[in-house]
Amino acid sequence: MLSVEHVTKIFPNGRGIRDVTFSVRRGEVFGFLGPNGAGKSTTIRHIMGFLKPDQGSVKVCGYDTWKEQGRFQKYIGYLPGEIAFIEGMTGKAFLDFMAGMQGGVDPAWRDELIRRLQFDVRTPIRKMSKGMKQKVGIVAAFMHRPEVIILDEPTSGLDPLMQKVFIELVLEEKARGTTFLMSSHNFPEIERTCDRAAIIKDGVIIAVKDIHELQSMQRKLFEVTFETEQELDDFMKCGLKIDSREGNRVRVAVQGDVDRFIRETARFHVRNIDVFTQNLEDIFMDYYDREGQTP
Amino acid sequence: MNMPLYRQMLAINLKMFMNYAFGSAFYILLMFWIYPGIAKNSSSLNSLIDGMPEGLGKAFGLENGFGSVGAFISGEYYGLLYLLILSIFCILVSTQLIAKLVDQGSMAYLLSAPTTRTKVALTQAAVLLSGLVLICAVTTLAGFAGYAWFIGDLGDFDGTGFVLLNAGALLLFFCIGGISYLISACCNDEKRALTLSGVIIIGFFSLNLIGKISGELSWMRHISVFSLFDPGEIVGKTADWPVSIAVLAGLGAVAFAAGMIIFRKRSLPL
Repeated sequence: MLSVEHVTKIFPNGRGIRDVTFSVRRGEVFGFLGPNGAGKSTTIRHIMGFLKPDQGSVKVCGYDTWKEQGRFQKYIGYLPGEIAFIEGMTGKAFLDFMAGMQGGVDPAWRDELIRRLQFDVRTPIRKMSKGMKQKVGIVAAFMHRPEVIILDEPTSGLDPLMQKVFIELVLEEKARGTTFLMSSHNFPEIERTCDRAAIIKDGVIIAVKDIHELQSMQRKLFEVTFETEQELDDFMKCGLKIDSREGNRVRVAVQGDVDRFIRETARFHVRNIDVFTQNLEDIFMDYYDREGQTP
Repeated sequence: MNMPLYRQMLAINLKMFMNYAFGSAFYILLMFWIYPGIAKNSSSLNSLIDGMPEGLGKAFGLENGFGSVGAFISGEYYGLLYLLILSIFCILVSTQLIAKLVDQGSMAYLLSAPTTRTKVALTQAAVLLSGLVLICAVTTLAGFAGYAWFIGDLGDFDGTGFVLLNAGALLLFFCIGGISYLISACCNDEKRALTLSGVIIIGFFSLNLIGKISGELSWMRHISVFSLFDPGEIVGKTADWPVSIAVLAGLGAVAFAAGMIIFRKRSLPL
């Protein structure tokens, strides 16, 4: 459906992407992860045919996105990472315009998208907040029911309720057979939607993983507050991995084995428990740093 | 051409196009309105001009004198102010149509729709040219209206000469528009595109002006495309049309085509 083959692009400042290769199957939701500046957006710009690869090629539905401009766009919906609309239009005028450019937009489906994302389309674009622009962008990417949807950080600027609506939308379209590629920092979003994810660092793909593998790699930090310091001292002897301690409070790192943590903790009087989940990038960076340390 | 894009771009820019067109029309009406007053004193004005250094009179289009309304309009409006208005129009509009969309990032939306870059570039060129044609047409009509209104019977007016004058101006700005369009298509940065085409086009304009003022520096005129549109010569029926048409139309067409090809082939920072 979408294949990126050995794409290399080095910018004059020496940064860029090197030999990026992956492919996304029909009906699959593919996550694209990596720290800022790792090359996610650069890769997406190659997929959209904005940048000319130094080497390699990108194919969407069999069309080369650099050489066959005008052919592949019919099958693609795109949400840019930094949304910029044409000035001097309202949301509705912009969506009408894009519908005219795309052709074949079902007005009922578009209205439903607008209704579910809950925003006023008559607002002039220059008066819109970041979240509202993001919603207009999401409607523009989904409204022509493309076969492949490319989303660059889709939920940035959306409140948690709208993130949930967005995830529902992605899952519904996925069930219809739509293929997705999305870059994201938001773990729940990736966890709930993606089948696989690629990790990019310094312009190089370091792994393409199944989402279940990623979940098992996720480390949780539990912050436990005990009644007394004495209890904490006793707790420390149990051999769980301790991240840090301060007074009668301790941070325990748990990866996978939640059950043992619960049993050990239950032996004492616990005043409070908080949980911190690592964000995805930390997981990968941790994981690959460790890989590097123990060859 | 992409029709939805063309319609949208016209919808966004039409108001500005009309402002230029009506501004120009208003000014030309003003010129016709004041002409009768000037004509009464034309002999004294003509002697005043004869007293001025020759170059200065030429630079400001006074060499045909104030004897006829055609000479007056061609010298006073088409020789200077109209050229400046249309130069500014070309610089601003061509920058807005491509470089600004690339700089802002909204070009990403145009290119994510099922169209090609060549079509987008062609459409934007068509929008620029539509604006130019509109301004020239409104100005021409205003000229005829002004004559009928303030001077007298249109039968006495050298209509052919006036239409040729406007056609010549349109031809010149086809070429100038092409140059600013080419610059806009090459630039990722809106400000840079604006500066570059401003410097080049106003530079051409100044070279033409300086070349006219000073006899020693008259060679400067020949580097400037503005020298190929000489309102005095057109009204005086001594213009060298074949050369002007060949160079202006040729250069303009090459610049537009080059802009489209470059825009098609380059990486865009979207």
